[in-house]
Amino acid sequence: MQSSGSCWHCGEAFPASVVIQARVAGIERSVCCQGCRAAAEWIEQLGLAHYYALRTEPARKPEADADPAAHTSWHAENSRHVIRDLGEGLRESLWLVEGVRCAACVWLIERSLGAMPGVVSVQVNAVAQRVRVVFRDATTSLPQLLQGLARTGYRALPVDARGLDDLRRRESRDALKRLLVAGFGAMQAMMYATAIYLGAAATLDASTRDLLRWLGLLVATPVVLYSARPFFAGARRSLTARRMGMDVPVALAIAAVFAASVLEAWRGTGEVYFDSISMFVFFLLAGRYLEMRARHRARDLTDALARLTPPFADRQREDGTLQRVGIHELRVGDCVRVSEGGIVPADGILMSERCRVDEALLSGESAPVTKRGGDLLMAGTVLEEGPVLVRLERIGADTTLAGIAALVGRAAAARPRLQVAGELAAGRFVTRVLALTVLTAAAWAAVDPTRAFSAAIAVLVISCPCAFALAVPAALTRALGALARRGVLVVRPDAIQSLAECTHALFDKTGTLTEVTLSSDVQTFRGASRDEALCLAATLARESRHPKARAIAAAHAGLHAAALSAVATQAGLGISATVDGRLLRLGRADFAMAGKLPAAEFEDAVLLADDIGPIAAFRMSERLRPDAGAAIEALRAQGVTVLIASGDAPSRVEGIAARLDVAWRARVLPAQKLAWLEELRAGGARVLAVGDGVNDAPVLAGADVAIALAEGAELTQASSDIVLKGARLTAIADARATAQHTLAIVRQNHRWALFYNLSAVPLAALGLVPPWLAALGMSLSSLGVILNAMRIGRGAASPPRARQQLPAETSPRAAAA
Amino acid sequence: MNILLLLIPISLLFLAGAVWLFFWAVDDGQFDDLDTPGLVPLDDTDARGKSS
Repeated sequence: MQSSGSCWHCGEAFPASVVIQARVAGIERSVCCQGCRAAAEWIEQLGLAHYYALRTEPARKPEADADPAAHTSWHAENSRHVIRDLGEGLRESLWLVEGVRCAACVWLIERSLGAMPGVVSVQVNAVAQRVRVVFRDATTSLPQLLQGLARTGYRALPVDARGLDDLRRRESRDALKRLLVAGFGAMQAMMYATAIYLGAAATLDASTRDLLRWLGLLVATPVVLYSARPFFAGARRSLTARRMGMDVPVALAIAAVFAASVLEAWRGTGEVYFDSISMFVFFLLAGRYLEMRARHRARDLTDALARLTPPFADRQREDGTLQRVGIHELRVGDCVRVSEGGIVPADGILMSERCRVDEALLSGESAPVTKRGGDLLMAGTVLEEGPVLVRLERIGADTTLAGIAALVGRAAAARPRLQVAGELAAGRFVTRVLALTVLTAAAWAAVDPTRAFSAAIAVLVISCPCAFALAVPAALTRALGALARRGVLVVRPDAIQSLAECTHALFDKTGTLTEVTLSSDVQTFRGASRDEALCLAATLARESRHPKARAIAAAHAGLHAAALSAVATQAGLGISATVDGRLLRLGRADFAMAGKLPAAEFEDAVLLADDIGPIAAFRMSERLRPDAGAAIEALRAQGVTVLIASGDAPSRVEGIAARLDVAWRARVLPAQKLAWLEELRAGGARVLAVGDGVNDAPVLAGADVAIALAEGAELTQASSDIVLKGARLTAIADARATAQHTLAIVRQNHRWALFYNLSAVPLAALGLVPPWLAALGMSLSSLGVILNAMRIGRGAASPPRARQQLPAETSPRAAAA
Repeated sequence: MNILLLLIPISLLFLAGAVWLFFWAVDDGQFDDLDTPGLVPLDDTDARGKSS
């Protein structure tokens, strides 16, 4: 991203027109527009030019219409909702920031905001793309802060202040405290217990022994009463709901062992198990904590509000121009334009003639629905064909948003199948152990009543469900972390299981296996000049996110043609619009010619045509992504059948497929791709689908496991299980290997826990296990499970770049920016 | 063994202190975000000498 050919600030190609110079750190740098120049010079003025040395990704291009009025207008009405009063003149606000791309962004935001007068503290969470700001009301105001941030090129949207004390933060803080109390308690109890165990062999006078036992009670009490409270609460919930969860037997075991130990300490006889009980609670809490972190992480990626309704909308002004506004600024009666693949920001009436939307989130119906002018569009629905104009009827809290958010919140909070299965197994296990405990007590009561109590408690202590409870969360957490470091972001943890089990991989070609660029020889007709044709084509192409359309739009960065109207896109075919009263079509030759028989020479070209005939033919030079061959080879080596389904011309697909030596189908529409996928699944295959475009969304939604490229359309990412960063295709095979390894480790862990318990419990029932051995066995079995899980992700390919990268840079918002 | 009567209360005091400190750190938000600080470059050169 040096000055050769691309903008110093945002990295975009220069327009054909004059190049603008910005002076940063004493050196003249070429930038692409005035906005970038202002941002670069502002960063320089703040003394933060070091950002350019730190960053790993180019910056976001600043908004052209970053006018201060946009920030002040909503201030009066909305600030009450988005600012929390901390007292003593301090105000707190939480923003969703668009365009946080790499570590340097975090640095730049913290520094530039921190340098503003009146700012007390700035906290940037890069993964969730949130900024929390505390400022002094007397010195500065929210619009001023937002404006200051906008000057560096980031758009921020204040989130509803209710989000400030989120449950999630409290949940994670609570869990951490409980975990720590249990950890400290376990360590101390262990120390006193060790003294008793060692002292039992040597000479330990009775009074010291009793003192140590009372101390054990002292440190174990907070562990049982405070740290273990979630288990008791869970057990009570389960019992009132008349279900047998894992919490019931665990709570019973904790209560029984603790009560028995207190009794023995009081009587001064028998054995106490304060060390074992604290450790038991600690390990179980550790498992829960790991699981909670994995869940929160997944939730960051699928955050309900951020994902279901866009933070920004394009509002149409009275003169027909568009203005990018935050969703809070929208009013009833506003006209908003939604582009293809975009999300409807609020409930409203469709003003355009017709469109197709995906209402899967509302109705659960995965097939797109056709809407006609005057129909109601719901907030959160995804536009399959667009763009359209929507006149808003209900905004903010009145929309179906609240319902949707709750729905998605529930979906994100759902535990992975693997986890649920693991918990069920552990629950069954503990129930059996409880039964066994009763049996042991009964058997000993018949033989030797004095030993019945201690033997029963020994069974309860030595049987360790911790190993079961830790097996899945430890492995999943480790796997998610290892994958994220390689640029594979798992949105739904279930995907790990499906990925490991998939037998077929269905690839999209254009944009996924290949990269598309516009080749320089543009064929024009009827005397149109190259620039003229390109300008028209780019104006249309800007409305679509298809890779070919993006290639055309990117080739012409200059001025747009006049405003276009009646824009309509047809997935897989092309786009049509009226420009200057002329109906233009851009896309596949048969589409562009509107049914007239196109010449054979246009078979593989993107054609721009009006009602009279072709205006220009664009040819794409398409090259295989450098790692596509290696990626497919690696998948094949794992026994996965690789297939290509493309909407492109057979001649092109054949060439690519032959080079990769895979089966293929060409000229297939999204629906046909889906049919092929169903066919494969009916034959018993588990299918992995990889795609990037809007036309891949149905296939991705229908596949067993779906991988979307991070640079692709939002709709595609919304229907995927895994998002692949940086389009590194070889990561797919790596990820599959890691997923398989994870499943293998989980199975090993379960087998190990079972083996340990099967060998230890009978010994305990016979009264052969002293307390010190029970404590040792329990900790070693749990440790074994954790150490085994740590092996996941070792030894596989190392990340491509040594520098730290940011998961958040692939969030749908950033990709849309 | 009488030394235990002194050492154990001291160790318990330490324990209570450690728990208190940790609770304070958690409530201070130091454990809220365990990902971002690792991403922020370890570079602290600041022309203005003001750190956030």
